[in-house]
Amino acid sequence: MVRYRESKISAHHNYLVNEMPTPGFVVGNPDKQEGFYFLGDIVLPGESTPRISCRLLTEGSGDLLLELNWNRIQSNPEACIHRSIPGGFQVVHSSGDVLLEVRTRAFANGYLTRIKARLYDENGDLRMETLGDSIRVHDAEKPVLDSPFSSHA
Amino acid sequence: MRKTEINKIPGRVWVFGDYREYFQNRITLQLIAKARDLAETLNTGITVVLLGEQIHQYAMEYVAHGADTVMVADHSNLKEYEVETYTTVLAKWAKEYQPEIFLAGATSFGREFFPRLAKRLSTGLSADCVDLEVDPETSLLVQTTPSFGGELLAEVITPDRRPQMATVHPGIFREFPHNSEAIGRIIYPEVDVFSEPRVKVTRSRPQSKGKVSLEDASVVIAGGMGLGSKGQFELLNELAAILEGEVGATRPAILAGWADEDRLLGQTGKSVKAKLVISIGTSGALQYTTGIQGAETVIAINRDPNAPIFRIADLGLVADGKTVLPLLLETLRRRI
Amino acid sequence: MTESINIVVFIKQVPDVPSIRIDEQRMTIIREGVESIINPLDCVALQAALELREGQGGGNITAITMGPPQSEEVLREALAAGADQGILLTDPAFAGADTLATSHVLARAVSKLRQFPDLLLCGMQSIDSDTGHVGPQLAEELDLPQVCGVNEIHIDGKSLVLKRLSDGFVDTVRVSLPALLTVNKDLCPVRDLSLGEIEVAFSQREIIRWTSSDLNLQRDEVGLRGSATHVRKLRSPATRTGGKIVTGSPQTIVDTLIQKLESMSILDEEDGN
Repeated sequence: MVRYRESKISAHHNYLVNEMPTPGFVVGNPDKQEGFYFLGDIVLPGESTPRISCRLLTEGSGDLLLELNWNRIQSNPEACIHRSIPGGFQVVHSSGDVLLEVRTRAFANGYLTRIKARLYDENGDLRMETLGDSIRVHDAEKPVLDSPFSSHA
Repeated sequence: MRKTEINKIPGRVWVFGDYREYFQNRITLQLIAKARDLAETLNTGITVVLLGEQIHQYAMEYVAHGADTVMVADHSNLKEYEVETYTTVLAKWAKEYQPEIFLAGATSFGREFFPRLAKRLSTGLSADCVDLEVDPETSLLVQTTPSFGGELLAEVITPDRRPQMATVHPGIFREFPHNSEAIGRIIYPEVDVFSEPRVKVTRSRPQSKGKVSLEDASVVIAGGMGLGSKGQFELLNELAAILEGEVGATRPAILAGWADEDRLLGQTGKSVKAKLVISIGTSGALQYTTGIQGAETVIAINRDPNAPIFRIADLGLVADGKTVLPLLLETLRRRI
Repeated sequence: MTESINIVVFIKQVPDVPSIRIDEQRMTIIREGVESIINPLDCVALQAALELREGQGGGNITAITMGPPQSEEVLREALAAGADQGILLTDPAFAGADTLATSHVLARAVSKLRQFPDLLLCGMQSIDSDTGHVGPQLAEELDLPQVCGVNEIHIDGKSLVLKRLSDGFVDTVRVSLPALLTVNKDLCPVRDLSLGEIEVAFSQREIIRWTSSDLNLQRDEVGLRGSATHVRKLRSPATRTGGKIVTGSPQTIVDTLIQKLESMSILDEEDGN
C-alpha cells in the first residue's frame, strides 16, 4: 500500500506545518504554568490573522525567553522586539537573531500562514525548526486541532 | 505528523483537479458538486486529486466547494500540466486506491490525458459527457455523451472495469457555493516524479483575443438578425453582464459584422449546454438551433409567432427584439 | 540535411454525418442512403503526411484502417492520393469495438510492420464517435509521446517542432521522433482527388488485409469482448418541444421574462415581490 502523510485542511485558514496545511496545531502543553509550548490556534471565518501563543525558552539554560498570547507579548525578560513585517510579524532578540517569524499570505478566499523559528523545550530538545517553506514540528502534542483551543478573549 | 492508518481509504469518487485559469475555469468545482451526488448514492466520499507545485490555495478552494479529501502531489516537476507525467502519477494512485469513478473536465488537456490514463488502467472512458447518473439497479455510472456530432446521445456504461472514467463538458453541472467553514482531509501519497518529459512546451501564448468561453457559460444570450443593427446587438453585452452570461450569435449576424466568429453558435460553431439560453431576434434555422438545443432552458424572443425557434423554446415571447431588449435593460437597471 | 520519413496514417470510414437521419422509433441512425466518407480530419492527416514526405524528399506512407470489408474504399482513396500501401484490418470479431479495443488492434498492426514508423498521424477526432481517444490510446500502447490538436508541423532533424491550440493557448511544442500526433483542421487544406486517380488506384496497387489471427489477437482482446465500455442506449437530444408562448405589450413581455428568470434563480427576487 502506498504510504501517505495526512492532515486536516480548512477552507479558510491553514498553517503550513511539516509541509502540510493544518487548521491549527499545538506543541507542548499551554495549560501548564511553565515549560515550552507553541499554539497556532484555529482561525475562524471572518478573521484574517493567525492566533499564535507560545512560551519560548533559551536553548541552553531553558530559561524563559518570551511569552506570547494571541500574537501579543506577555513576558519579555530579554527585551525582544516585536515588529511588523508585510503579512505578519517578527520577534527579534536583542542579539539580532530573529526568534520567530509569522507571515500570512492572503488568497482570494483564504489564508496560509508560514512560520519560521528554531525552538527548544525545557529538556534542551529541538521541538520546532524551519524546513524550507514550512515549520517542522517534532512530537506535536496535537498536530491537528479539531476546534479552537482557546475561545475569543 | 504520524503516518496514518493505511486502512482509511479516501472517498472513491475521484475528480481531477484542474486549477488552470482558476477562478474563471470552474469545471473542477462543477464536477465536485456532481461527484457529491454520485458519491452519496454509492455510499462513499469525494476525493479531488491535485498535482502541481504550491497548490495549497486550490486544495483549500476545493474543500470549500465540497471536496471531502484532497489527494496531493506537490512537486516542482508537476508544475506544468504534462500528459505522460500526470498519467504515470495518477495511474499509480488509481491502482493503489481503486476508485469507483474518476471524472475530469473535457478541457483540451483533459481530453488528451484522460484517454491515455484509461488505456494504462485498461478501463473505459467516455468523452465530453453531458449527464452522469448512477443507475439504481446496477449501481453503474451511466455516462451520457453526444455522438454523431450531437445528433444522438449515447448512454455508455463500463460494466466490469474500474474506475469508470468520464470527461465532462464544462457548464453542465452547477457548483456549490464557497463555504469557509468547511474542513476536509488532505493526503500526500508517496510519488516518484520523473524529470524528463518527452514532450516539451517551449512557448505558450494566449490565443489572440479575450477569453470567450461560450461552452463554459451557464447563461448564454444569443442574438440574430432580428435585432436590426450592430448597436442593438451590442446591447446583448449589457444583458449578459447583468445575468453573468456570455454572448453568442447566429451566422448571419456574424457575417453582418455584429460579432466575431468565436461567438458563433450552431452546426459549424459552438454547441452550448448552458442552463439558460435567451435567443433574441433569431428565426430558428436548424444550423443555428443545433447549437442551443442542448441547453436546459431556452427562452426565445421573436416577433413572428410562426418562427421555427418557438418549436424548441420552453418559453416563447412574441415581441420585437428591437423594442423589448432596451426595455428589458431599462427595467433591470432600475432593480440594481 | 533532410532524411526520408516513414509515416503511418490512421484513417476511418465514417457515415457522412451531416446527412444522417434518426429513426426516432428505434433510436438508431438510418444508414441507408447515407454515403460513407473518410473522416474529414483523417484526410487532413493524410495530406499532411504527403506534404511532409515531399518536404523530406522521400519516405514511405502507409494508410491503416480498421473496419468492415467495404472500408477498403478509404484505403483506395489514400493510395490514389499518394500513399504507398494500404492495410485493412478486418475481421467480424473486431465489430463493436470501443476505443480501447480499437487502439489495441491498431497498435498490433503497427508492431507487425516491417519497420517501425517515424511518425504516426491521426485526425483529432471522428465525426461519428467524437471521442478523440484512439490517438492517445494508441500512443500509450506503443509507448510513444503524443501531441494532440496539432496545426503546424516542422521537422528539425530527428525532432518535430509543432504548434497546437490547447485550452485557449497556442503552444509551441518540441518532441523527438518517433511520435504520434493528432491533427486539427487548420493543419493544411485538403487537396481534392480526381476520379482518374481513384481508378488508377483501383486497378494497380494492392491492399494488404489482416485479420485477428494475422495479428495474433485473441477473441477477448478485440471487438465487443475486448471493450471496456458499452453503449446501452441511444436517445435523441431533441426531446425539446415548444413550450408556452406569450404575447402582449412590450412591458408584459419584459415582466414575463423577468419572472421566469427569478423562478430560475438567475435573478434574485426583488424585495417586496
